Formats: sequence, C-alpha cells, structure tokens
Amino acid sequence: MAEEVYMVCQGMSIGYQDRTTPSVVVKNSLTLRALKGEMVALLGGNGIGKSTLLRTLAGFQPPLSGELLIHNKPLAKYRAEELAREMSFVSTESVKVAHLTVREMVGLGRYPYTDWFGKLTDKDQEIIAKAIRDVGLSGYEDRQVSRISDGERQRAMIARALAQNTRIMVLDEPTAFLDISNKYEIVRILHQLVNELGKCIIFSTHDLHTALSMADRIWLMLEEEVVEGIPEVVAGKGYFDSLFPGNPQLKFDVDKGDFRFRKKLIGTVRLLADTSMRKMATRALERLGFEIVGLAPDDNPATEMGSNKPASISVGSVLSHTTPADGYPWVKMEVTQMATGWKITLPGFSTKVESLEELCREVKRLTLQPES
Amino acid sequence: MVLHDRFWREAEFFLLLVMLCIFFLLDLLAGSVPLTLSQSLPALFHPSTADPQIAAILYQFRVPKAITAVMAGAALSVAGLQMQTIFRNPVAGPDILGISSGSSLGVALFVLSAGWIFKGTPLFTLAGSWGIVMAAWLGAGLMMTLVVLLAARLRDLMTVLILGILISSAILAIVSVLQYFSSESSLKSFIVWTMGSLGSTTQTQLWVLIPAVMIGLLLAFLSSKFLDAFLLGENYAKSMGMNLRVAYLLTFASTSILAGSITAFCGPIGFVGIIVPHLARKYFHSSLHSRLIPGTMVLGAVVMLAGDLISQLPGYDITLPINSVTSLLGIPIVIWIIFQNKKIGAI
Repeated sequence: MAEEVYMVCQGMSIGYQDRTTPSVVVKNSLTLRALKGEMVALLGGNGIGKSTLLRTLAGFQPPLSGELLIHNKPLAKYRAEELAREMSFVSTESVKVAHLTVREMVGLGRYPYTDWFGKLTDKDQEIIAKAIRDVGLSGYEDRQVSRISDGERQRAMIARALAQNTRIMVLDEPTAFLDISNKYEIVRILHQLVNELGKCIIFSTHDLHTALSMADRIWLMLEEEVVEGIPEVVAGKGYFDSLFPGNPQLKFDVDKGDFRFRKKLIGTVRLLADTSMRKMATRALERLGFEIVGLAPDDNPATEMGSNKPASISVGSVLSHTTPADGYPWVKMEVTQMATGWKITLPGFSTKVESLEELCREVKRLTLQPES
Repeated sequence: MVLHDRFWREAEFFLLLVMLCIFFLLDLLAGSVPLTLSQSLPALFHPSTADPQIAAILYQFRVPKAITAVMAGAALSVAGLQMQTIFRNPVAGPDILGISSGSSLGVALFVLSAGWIFKGTPLFTLAGSWGIVMAAWLGAGLMMTLVVLLAARLRDLMTVLILGILISSAILAIVSVLQYFSSESSLKSFIVWTMGSLGSTTQTQLWVLIPAVMIGLLLAFLSSKFLDAFLLGENYAKSMGMNLRVAYLLTFASTSILAGSITAFCGPIGFVGIIVPHLARKYFHSSLHSRLIPGTMVLGAVVMLAGDLISQLPGYDITLPINSVTSLLGIPIVIWIIFQNKKIGAI
C-alpha cells in the first residue's frame, strides 16, 4: 500500500519567495495525497492558488515550508533529470512553435532519456509513435503544431508528457479554452491513461461536473481550508457551497453535480401537463422564476405540499401583493395543458396560448413589472 | 517516405553548400580591381607561379575579407538563432538586444585604457587582437546577463526589446563620452576600429577571429538539445529535466563569444542575426536546432557574402559600408517577420 502513494504533501505551505521582500504565502498547511492509478482533480476559485500549488508540485518553485514527497523521497532531493523521469507537466498556455511537427514536439518528451545531442533511437521513435496513438493523433505526425486546432494541440502536449514516460502527470487546466467535445475528449484520454497505464494524474479544472464524475480524488481549495477526499464525500459534506463565498446566489446541487444559479423567485405555479411535456414546461417555468408547487394532481397530491408553501394555489385566488422584501408581487399561477396549447390562469384572468414558446413569452409579459 | 525525407534533407543542405562556394568565389572576384576566374583560380592554387600582383590582391585582401564574411555571417546568425530561442522572441538578435553595443563598450574601454596605460596601443599585433576580442566578449557577456536579468523580471518580450534598445543607446553614449576624454592616439585607433568592416581584418586578426568563432560555434552545437527544450518555454524545459544553469551558461557563452568576436573585428553589422534564423526555418521547415544550427551557419555565411558583393557596387569604384547594406536589406525582412508573427508564433 505504501508504495502506491505517489505523492504526499504534509503541512506544506506554498507561495513566493524573494530575496528582497518577505515571502508571500498563498496557502498554508496543505496535507494532500495522490495514489497510483488515481485521477486527482484540483478545484478552487480563481486566484485561490491552484497554479501555485501545481507549480510547486512540478518543482518550479520550492515549498515555503513543510514536506513534499514524491515516491517517499523529498522533491528537493531529486536531480532535474531524475525528477523529469518521475513527473511530467502540461501547462495551460498554448505553445505555438512554427515549423515544429507533432512528432518532433512529442519527441522533445524523450529529453530526459536521450544523449547530449538529443538523438532519438529506434526505441524512442516507438515510444513517440505510441504516445501519439494513445491520444488519438495518428495521422497528425507531420502536421505543424502551430497549424492544428487547440484541442489537437492540447492532445499533442499530453502526448509529449506521455513520451516522457512518467508515473505522475501534472496538468494545469488542460481543458481551459476548449469546447465541450474537446474537453470531453481530453478527460476521456486522461481517464484512459489512469485506468490502462496506472498513471497518477493531477489536474486542475473549473469543470465541477467532470471532476465529480471522472476523478477518483478531489483536492478542493477553499478560502479557509483545503479539503481532500473522494468526490462523493467532498460533495456530500457540503464543502462546495463555500467554494465561492463571495457569491451566495450560487448553490451547489449535489444531485446534478454542479452549481445552480439561485434565481430570484417571483411566484408559484401549479402545473398540469402530461408526462411528455411536463419536464420541458417545468424547466421553462423554473427558468422564468417560478417555483412549481403542484404537478398533475394524480402524481403529486396537494397533501404533500409543505406547510411553508402558499396556502392557496387554486384557480380564482387574487394576485397577492403581500411579499415583501424586494417589492415584487408574489404571483400565483396555474398552467394547464390543453388539447392544443396551454391555458394560463391567474387570479381573475386567464388566457390561451398555442405553444410552449408562446407560453414563455406570455408569462414573461404578465410578470414584467409595470413601468412606473 | 522516411528515406525520401532524408534524401531531401541532405539535398537541401548540399545545395546551400554549393551556394556558399559560388558566393565565396564571386566575392573573391569582385572589388575595385575586378578579377576573372581564369586569372584568379591559378593564382589561388599556385600563388608562386601566378601574377604576383593578382596573388597579392587575392591573398592579402580578398581571401581574408571573404573568410571574414563567412565567419561574420555564420557567427551572427547562430548567435541570433540562440537568442531568439532563449528569449522566445522572433526579433531578438545580438544588435537589437544591445549585445553588440556591449562589446563595443568593452573594446572602447580596452583600446582607450590601453592607450592611456601603454602610451600607444599595439592593437594590430596578435596580443592586441586577443585583448580586443576578449574585451568584446566580456562586454557582450555582461550585457547578455543584464538583459536576461531584466527579462526574468519583466516577462514581457516587447518591453525587453525596448529596454535592450535603450541600454544600447546609453552604452553608445558612454562610448562617446569616453572618446571625448581620451588621448589623441588612442582615439585614432578607436575610430579606426569603429569604422571596421569585413575588409579591414588583417591576416593576424584572422588567426584570432577564426578560432574564436570556432569555439563559439562548437558551444552552439553543444547547446542544441537545450535550445530544443527551450522552444516550449522555460517551464516545459525545466519539467523535461533541463539543467537551466548549464543551458544558460552554454548559450550565453556561445552568444557572447560569437557576437563579441565579430563586433570586435568588423564593427556593428545589423540585422543578419535576426533575419537569417527565420530564412533558415523557412528553408529547412524545421525548428529543431540539431538541424537549424548547421543550416543557419551556412545560410548566414551565404547571406553575408551576398551582402558584401552588393556593397562592392559592381561597376563602381566605391564600397558601401556593410552595415548599411545589411540594414537596408534586413529591415524589410524584419517587418515581414513582425507581420507573420501577428498571425502565428514565428518561432
């Protein structure tokens, strides 16, 4: 078990040191682990010190204090080349070098293994070819890295790290600036490397959904503390709600595994719709700021409604002006699906619309605050 | 496919070598006394039996000049290539970043203080030549260190370039002040030096210039793997296990020796160091230094010989300063490089 712990930091503090000014501590007393065959997602808000931590782990800057062990040996004790055989790094910046082919760039990953002049042997060439295959860039070997797409270039950078043949790979926001398809592809590749080659991959990301569904371990950097654990425990204990302390509007949804922007509610609606439309209509009404307080009566009887919900949701009640805090009227509405179209019922008023889109437009019009 | 590639790679390089030979010969023929091939070839290979006048022109003027051009072109271009890679800046070069003016200051201090100490300078002896060249190395090395320290603090490439230009103006101002306070005889030898050109190198000086450039080029060859790693930036280079200290030491030593030696004997020659690496990357379709360093070396020599040919103004009896020729030819190319760089990373 012990030899499977690839990286440990114990009471480490990270930050910047300068001869002239006192050192700037970014984070204190970090205690983190990364094991063989684990995908570790480093999460945290902007400016919390994710990059500083990764730079420290990669050996670009020394820890200010505490211990950082790679395979049970302090990082500082490694010679540069020795460390390069244990750990590779992929940064977030996109490197555009003209006249450098994918094969040549991936070949640079063989740096710690080649002779003084960097001559690649047949064995090196094989490793390079395999790394390119592993990231799905076969056929791109002779393309210039400055002339492939951002997603392809990022895959090439990962292939370069692969060619370095290290047990640990550290990646700083490998999916930043990529579209969803490319993001998914990169994460899939990393996941495959972990599961098939038993690598230990540490990467920072802002994509909580990916982190929670793919990572084996979460390092969550918060303002006050740094939490480590498996995704379910970190999420279940409600740590994510303190990820963005400056924005109370953001609420972490454990079921969805992502943040939901908590909207200002403007009223309640009772929705009567058949199963085919119910989901869509629910989402649309929620988006417009309504809380669904009752569905079709058969599957959500009124007795289940909590006592804190407004008592009257039935047709015929009047627009209530009792709310308060921000002066918005609390709208109580009923939306019913008809044979064709929808019926919107407000106290003392009802109207019919043709489609869900028209329903949204109508509801929006009805709930806009009148100009004063 | 691979065989095919390799064949073309060899062919590309071979073609460049042929061009080098052609331009070298042309450079021997051109001048205020135009020579023909039938006159000069016998004089070149059998000087004892040939027309002594032609042999004298060839061996005392043309051959040293052509060799100096080859050395200058190779040295400045390889120095420029190294600087562009280290600074990851497509318009870096020994003259732009003030390395050349650093060596000017070194030479100025040496010549002027030698004049003051020894009452007259043995500048054109072997010892004097080594003194000049080492002073130039020292000046270039100090300047290089200063620029690197600034670059590490600033991180912004364009600011570093502007600082390099400012510092080199400051250094040239210091050199002018030094001239003002120096004795007449040492001032004269300094002025002679500043007017240096490819043609002013004496045979004695060649015995210093050739080994100096060879040392610099050898160091460049030794640093090719480091430079490749630098292509991806300092962080990647570090993460791949590069020993930064050794890498910087090698490339700085190489650049200072190459740029310093040429500035010491030929005076400032602008733009060759910036443009040749770009031409070489285009020509060889490569950014790897194991290929670019020899390529830049030969291409630099060809470009310098071509520049020298143009400076002779064939058909006229006057010679233009080599620095003007390289600047006039180089500046449009640098502008082109800057435009290219707007679109994609040029290095």
